[in-house]
Amino acid sequence: MNNHLALQATQLPRSAGIGASWMQFWFTPADSRPLAMVRVLSASVALLLWWSYLADLQAWLGPEGVLPTEMVVQWRLNGGFSLFDFARSAVAVWVLFGITGACFLLLLCGLCTSLVALLAAIFWASLMLAAPMLAGPADDCLAVLLWCLAIGPAGHYFSIDRWLSLRGGQPIVMPSWRATIALGLLQVHASVISGAMLLAQLKGDVWWDGSAAWWLAVRSESPLMDVRGALAQSDYLMNALTHSITLFEILFAIGLWITPLRPIVAKAGLLAWPLIGILAGEPLWGLTMAIFAVPSCSSRSASA
Amino acid sequence: MAIFSTPPATPGVAPVLATVSPDPQGRPSELVRAVITAALAIYLVGLVLTVMSNSGSGSSALLRTIKGRLFSPWMVPMWLDLGFDYRLTYGQPEDADHIIEVRPTLGSRVGKNFPPEATNASGTRPQEIRLPGAMTGERKARWRRLARAIAMTADDSDRESLLPTSIGAGLFDDLGTTDVSLRVLRRPLPERPQTAASSSLELAQVYAARVRRVGGKEAKVQLIKSEAAGAVAPLLQPVGDK
Repeated sequence: MNNHLALQATQLPRSAGIGASWMQFWFTPADSRPLAMVRVLSASVALLLWWSYLADLQAWLGPEGVLPTEMVVQWRLNGGFSLFDFARSAVAVWVLFGITGACFLLLLCGLCTSLVALLAAIFWASLMLAAPMLAGPADDCLAVLLWCLAIGPAGHYFSIDRWLSLRGGQPIVMPSWRATIALGLLQVHASVISGAMLLAQLKGDVWWDGSAAWWLAVRSESPLMDVRGALAQSDYLMNALTHSITLFEILFAIGLWITPLRPIVAKAGLLAWPLIGILAGEPLWGLTMAIFAVPSCSSRSASA
Repeated sequence: MAIFSTPPATPGVAPVLATVSPDPQGRPSELVRAVITAALAIYLVGLVLTVMSNSGSGSSALLRTIKGRLFSPWMVPMWLDLGFDYRLTYGQPEDADHIIEVRPTLGSRVGKNFPPEATNASGTRPQEIRLPGAMTGERKARWRRLARAIAMTADDSDRESLLPTSIGAGLFDDLGTTDVSLRVLRRPLPERPQTAASSSLELAQVYAARVRRVGGKEAKVQLIKSEAAGAVAPLLQPVGDK
């Protein structure tokens, strides 16, 4: 199939070649197994992030909480609304929050996956908009993952849906163009996020003079990975760690688009993103970035 | 070695696909492809605009207007109006951990509804609430983001008073008073030679305000921001007044 498209591309004008590449990238049916894996991992991280709201839910979003709806509406300078805006009682807040958690649980299990993935994305966005000042990078990246899952058939594998279809006598799962679009969007976002991070970092001197790793390591009172002693002893180690992060982000943002490099940088991302997340004090963000890399570990036909 | 491998084409699959879809390669119909292509193109433009206009460097009026009118109305509710400008650190004081400290201004009685995690270091019933206190993980990170948001918007005329007012008023009941002093404190980042003594660095105050309820039946919450000494105009002594 790919050879056929490549032949077409050489015979047609350049504009047609771009069109063929576009069609190949976005519409050639792909295996939905990677998307199912993304679903399982995303739902797991989503449950952790959801859990982090649990103890303080009423203190933040309750009727007597410190973040009343009227204040949050004023805070959102770009507009937007949240389902939580309509929750006027503690019970209503609990109900909406409970639905959000239930969606994540069902998404993890893969039951009614297409509907649940959409609901999970809607309710997560609502929770973020209910208290935008509490949202961190992991929350942002999770929102993107959930919308991508809502587009593709994320329940075709590793799911109760799959088990039910097997019981119903439908053992064959066809490659899907919806999976291709979802996986393509994941790849685009992985590259864009890494690139945007890189641009933001390179505006700071510490990423040029090689001291950023030190400032990351000392930022937290109780770091998950204490490398302060080692960094204090060696300038070179500190510089190497800083420049390694920058170099990895460049490779990740660009390498995802170079077919031979794609699986390599993606597999490196599975290890590197969590490590960067731990060093930066944002371990769940590191995990969500690693999830973006998961589909690119395989050679997807649509982008090969 | 690939973690996931695309299953090889099965000889019996192609005819089935051909009957299901108008495209022999299993793609959607031409009309559907056109619609999706347009949607993808619009979204990708929106994605680029959100990255360009949500950076810490600000954005041009043109981009801001285009994004604000065409993309924000549907991207904001989806929580997709994101800049992804995660700088991680610039080594600046504002990159340090922040905490919120609230205490009764006038030493009024202390309430009983403290979250157990919000105790002070001695573990006794606090005369103040410090957040995130002894919390851990992402929960702690969220309180710190809240504290940092107060500090970062201290000079933002649109948002300056929103958070400290609502947080102070939200803790009236917990502190058993209607007059509290709220501070945001920052843990200074130690320079490399200071690493051994980093734990002894004192917290620095980056924001302070008094929040109180005033008025009778139609009580309102009032915020009185404490200005740094250098930002307050000196009292002028009347001419001839000895």
